[in-house]
Amino acid sequence: MPLLEMKDVDTFYGELQALFKVSIEVDRGRIVSVLGANGAGKSTLLKSISGLLETRSGNIVFDGKRIDGLPPHDIVDLGLSLVPEGRKIFSSLTVRENLMIGSYTPKARKQSHKTLKGILKLFPSLHARISQKGTDLSGGEQQMLAIGRALMSRPRFIIFDEISLGLSPLVVKELYRAVKKINQEGMTVVLVEQDVKRSLKVADFAYILQEGKVTLQGNPRHLTEETVKRAYFGL
Amino acid sequence: MIEYLEPLINGILLGGLYGVVGIGLSMVFGIMRQVNLAHGELMILSSYLSLVFLQVLGLHPLVTLILVAPLMFFIGYLIQILLFNRVMQRGMEPFLMISFGLSIIIQNALLLIFTPDARSLETAMVIKGVDVFGLFNIPLIYLVNFTVGALVLTALHQFMKRTYMGWAINASADNETAAKLMGINVNKVYAYALGIAAVTAAISGVLVGMSFTFYPHSGTQYLIIAFGVVIIGGLGSLPGTFLGGLVLGVSQLFGGRILGPGFQLLSGYIILLIILTVRPQGILGGR
Ligand SMILES: Nc1ncnc2c1ncn2[C@@H]1O[C@H](COP(=O)(O)OP(=O)(O)O)[C@@H](O)[C@H]1O
Ligand SMILES: [Mg+2]
Repeated sequence: MPLLEMKDVDTFYGELQALFKVSIEVDRGRIVSVLGANGAGKSTLLKSISGLLETRSGNIVFDGKRIDGLPPHDIVDLGLSLVPEGRKIFSSLTVRENLMIGSYTPKARKQSHKTLKGILKLFPSLHARISQKGTDLSGGEQQMLAIGRALMSRPRFIIFDEISLGLSPLVVKELYRAVKKINQEGMTVVLVEQDVKRSLKVADFAYILQEGKVTLQGNPRHLTEETVKRAYFGL
Repeated sequence: MIEYLEPLINGILLGGLYGVVGIGLSMVFGIMRQVNLAHGELMILSSYLSLVFLQVLGLHPLVTLILVAPLMFFIGYLIQILLFNRVMQRGMEPFLMISFGLSIIIQNALLLIFTPDARSLETAMVIKGVDVFGLFNIPLIYLVNFTVGALVLTALHQFMKRTYMGWAINASADNETAAKLMGINVNKVYAYALGIAAVTAAISGVLVGMSFTFYPHSGTQYLIIAFGVVIIGGLGSLPGTFLGGLVLGVSQLFGGRILGPGFQLLSGYIILLIILTVRPQGILGGR
């Protein structure tokens, strides 16, 4: 049984339909990539999974339990964590407080100090800035902080929404190294990107979205550049 | 010089009280971007609750806080869950209307139960004075007000910096969506925040009740003071609220000393107007 199974999900913004019968499966321990152009519906998909948006039909099952209709805080508590697009660092909290608030759930709280140590080892550059305001960090460091904050809840399943957006290649490389390491430690990963090449390189499976529909899915090694392009741009 | 020392010291002491009067309004604005027009009534409701416990159980007014503070926390929590959370997402007007309605309900309920007579939480502290260098006397109650006010603001500051609930309150204020992704139930956090604001109302209500007489409609008067404090110090800023209290207290008493007692309130508001012109965000206000 897959860890996450989403079936025929429709999601709307008011009257505007943004997802059309989207079905996705993510197996335990994998890195699954979700690709699509700007406005394809990737973030909408993630907001539907994490409970930020209500789905109108279909169902979402996480670890055998239906999660569509649950509020976001309950979904986090089940072990599913989202690193949101645009990082969304808390501006009135320091780096340390931004990390600590990630361990808000009762389960995570008990191990917060241990988890924090691990995260500072994963992102040593945060260590030197631990007492600064979160939003005073550079873009790359803020992205590390957003990832670290999501890890503080000790998730089994972690979703990254466009972590490489607007960052230098060197920083992106470091972030991807961290993603792989996180996966090797046993976490299931969903990686959402516009950058096709890099994310296909690390993924075990890929979905391509276009205008709110899944247009292609498969093992990246078996997808040809031609079919990917067509699914991505609709040419 | 010496003649100005007295209004300065008394003004600072009064300002400590004003700081706690303003803190609840400031917190709610800083966290929810909403104005709670019922804050003054929550204060006076606490004064009356204290009066009841004082008469029934024979406790000292300050000791009644052991009962009044948790009771007010609970009342604040319920008000947020039952009323305010329903309109949080709809801009400022519905919240203003609901809190205004609530203030009228509390006022009239107090009027019905306690009659319009003047009340006070009697304590010997009002009569006792503290001698300052043999020059003049300061009422003991002023010192108590200032000390309690400073303690409350410091405790609140530490709470916000050191506890999960404090971080969660700040996080929800910064970015509600991201806060939800941390596993925070933001509606519950807002209810805690209003509960805490109501506890500050309880503390300031008891202090005010020990210092001055109060009536069912006294809340309005303190809401205006709270507005003054918060505008001078900067909305949502804790240290700013304390500073705002001091500035308002000192300018009132200085104005009273220089221009005559009738000018006490006016001079406070002139300073407020000047600050509003020069620094609209308040002395320590950032956003
Ligand atoms: N808050 C919103 N209100 C209305 N429409 C939205 C909102 N957010 C996104 N959309 C629309 O939904 C579609 C999918 O957006 P999104 O999921 O953000 O795309 P992506 O993340 O793939 O760039 C777009 O057409 C976008 O305009
Ligand atoms: Mg997006």
